[in-house]
Amino acid sequence: MQAGSSPHHKTADANFAMTADTRLPPVRKLVIDWLDDNHHFGEAEQLIGSDDRSFLENGILDSLGFVQLVLHIENTYRLKVDRKTLTPANFDSLGKIVAYISKHPDYQGPK
Amino acid sequence: MAQFRGDCAVVAGRPLADAAALQAWSLAEPRAFWRALLERSGLLYEGALEPVRDGDDVRAARYFPALRLNYAENLLRSLRPGDDAQPAVIGWTEEGARTLLTRGQLRSKVLALAGALRALGIGPGDRVACMSSNAPPAIVACLAATALGAVWSTVAPDLGTEATRDRFAQLEPKLLFAVAGYRHHGAGRPVRDKLSALVRELPSLRHVIALGEPLQLAGVAVPEYSMAALLQQGPPLQQYPRLPFDHPLFVLFSSGTTGKPKAIVHSLGGTLLEHWKELRLHSDLSSDDVLYFHTTCGWMMWNWQLSALACGTTIVLLDGSVSFPQSDALLLLLMRERVSVFGTSPAYLQYLRDAGISPRELGDWPALRAIQSTGSILFDAQYHWVKEHWKHLPIQSISGGTDVLGCLVLGHPELPVHAGESQCVSLGIDVQALDGGNTARVGSGELVVANPFPSRPLGFLHDADGARCRDAYYAAHPGLWTHGDFVQLTAHGSARILGRSDGTLNVKGVRIGPAEIYAILQGFPGLIDCMALEQQAEKELGGSRLVLLVVLADGQALDRPFVLKLKKELSQRGSPAHVPAVVAKVASVPVTFSGKKSERAATDALHGREVTNRAAIKNPECLDEIAGHADLRLAEA
Repeated sequence: MQAGSSPHHKTADANFAMTADTRLPPVRKLVIDWLDDNHHFGEAEQLIGSDDRSFLENGILDSLGFVQLVLHIENTYRLKVDRKTLTPANFDSLGKIVAYISKHPDYQGPK
Repeated sequence: MAQFRGDCAVVAGRPLADAAALQAWSLAEPRAFWRALLERSGLLYEGALEPVRDGDDVRAARYFPALRLNYAENLLRSLRPGDDAQPAVIGWTEEGARTLLTRGQLRSKVLALAGALRALGIGPGDRVACMSSNAPPAIVACLAATALGAVWSTVAPDLGTEATRDRFAQLEPKLLFAVAGYRHHGAGRPVRDKLSALVRELPSLRHVIALGEPLQLAGVAVPEYSMAALLQQGPPLQQYPRLPFDHPLFVLFSSGTTGKPKAIVHSLGGTLLEHWKELRLHSDLSSDDVLYFHTTCGWMMWNWQLSALACGTTIVLLDGSVSFPQSDALLLLLMRERVSVFGTSPAYLQYLRDAGISPRELGDWPALRAIQSTGSILFDAQYHWVKEHWKHLPIQSISGGTDVLGCLVLGHPELPVHAGESQCVSLGIDVQALDGGNTARVGSGELVVANPFPSRPLGFLHDADGARCRDAYYAAHPGLWTHGDFVQLTAHGSARILGRSDGTLNVKGVRIGPAEIYAILQGFPGLIDCMALEQQAEKELGGSRLVLLVVLADGQALDRPFVLKLKKELSQRGSPAHVPAVVAKVASVPVTFSGKKSERAATDALHGREVTNRAAIKNPECLDEIAGHADLRLAEA
């Protein structure tokens, strides 16, 4: 595990109940940390500015980056995002990502 | 290819029944083969075909010493009536602007610009640098410079300031072509500041030419011209000067484990003849084809795809992102231009798969007849994915590199495709696997070439006695070209590239020298030492990830602010590709008894392999730390 990144959660599978797994980071933190680790190196929060700011229009993330972010979200929370829903309407801002993933039926992280 | 094989059978005086027979003959009778290739290529040249080769030494032998030719002349010639009205270059921006140059228009622009460059004093042997995105003006500029016999070298505008300077300072260019900025994924990115600093540090520069909008460089004494104005200046070049086969054509840069990037000089004749062989014969490209090969101007595939003009092929360029304004933007471009051969990378195919994009759903792809992939290893599953989600197409995994400005293993129109394999070894190149001191044409080991081939580099810049070039390719195994890859050569003539053998990194298809990373991080606060490694990781984009081992000063923790600051430094002064996926703290990195870092030993330890040079490592205990490091374990599926 890389310094400062989210905790590993191999044991999450054992948690069958649909209660929040507090060992997992909230979606908001996960996204900001990932953007910092991979693209913006400590400036992600400042670049994002507000929850409804478009990632695509403001150069925060491109389509290739979105796919990588979604893979990271899937691996962390052990869920699957239907690729047909991988659209700007669902993913093009921090607020949209938080809302979409938090409502995902398999999401077990903190709300 | 079949026709060429028949022609060679006539030369050989015996049947050459199949691809294997032709390959065997090309190695057994190299002079007859290379002469036949040149004679049947239709390339324009003057002088004597003999001697074909002046010796047999792998390092020293030279091809066609009595022959003269011109690169641009051969790319721009008409191959059949009506050619001049056919598209030669089609450029797209990511905003959807399309530029089309017919062969006739391209030639007119090249000759006009060449005339203007000659008036500026540019001539044979002068070095010309270019910083550009992948757009038609860079092609016009390159062909105009090479039409005059000048030596051409390009970088992409997203390359970091330091990395660009490391390259162009060695080049000592007389002329620089540049863009003022570029666009990527909808965002404009100016490069004026970087360019101004660069120009100030290049005392050799006499002229700067803006490929597009004015550069408006700050604090620069070198005069700036606009390419648009120079195209109107006249008179155009009337006659292409024909130059020796070994005249320098391109300088490409490649980083190793030590020192500045190597400035590799490639010859006019070697490049042109090898590219014609790979493009016309192995790739079966002709005037009926449209080629799109995804590349930046800073990668050798840019030079490679450019040479497809010599086969009459139309080349399509994209200046921008493959996924803007929508995730399947590049696919739509391929369909619209009826691209017949699509050159891509394992990383892009993986992106399509991960994004859930199925090209089959977009249409039947009637024009597309082959996919070529390079940059990193194409995994077996990706062959199956293409068949399932795209079309039943030959997938040609091609591999070679900057050092040879071409391929060593590649496709073949007469051979079947086996998942995970390149179809064959390039004609006339005696690729062998070296294992335990023995070489063989079937087997696994270090990729070596056992005969002299025309596309070997002429040498490196600033390497007057040739020692650095000799050390890079010929010293490890005397009598052989050592390429720096591991290869598996199969009994049916195909090849699998197994990874790098020389400590250089190939991350997401971008080759990076660890030395560049070390140079950037030298003096970084809190950092005592570091080592950059490539870790095979099939789930990562491109099949591997960049790992940085760090030795920290007393009191310096590997905390988040430190890691982010380090990544930012690498991104800004190197490029996004220089940023490690993982940073791991170690007590020390492996060094030999002579004090040289051994990335090879660390890479063996990282992958759980036996460390072949363990006895040569001064601090072998660090190898055990790397092998068992918790932060370096790959996530389970």
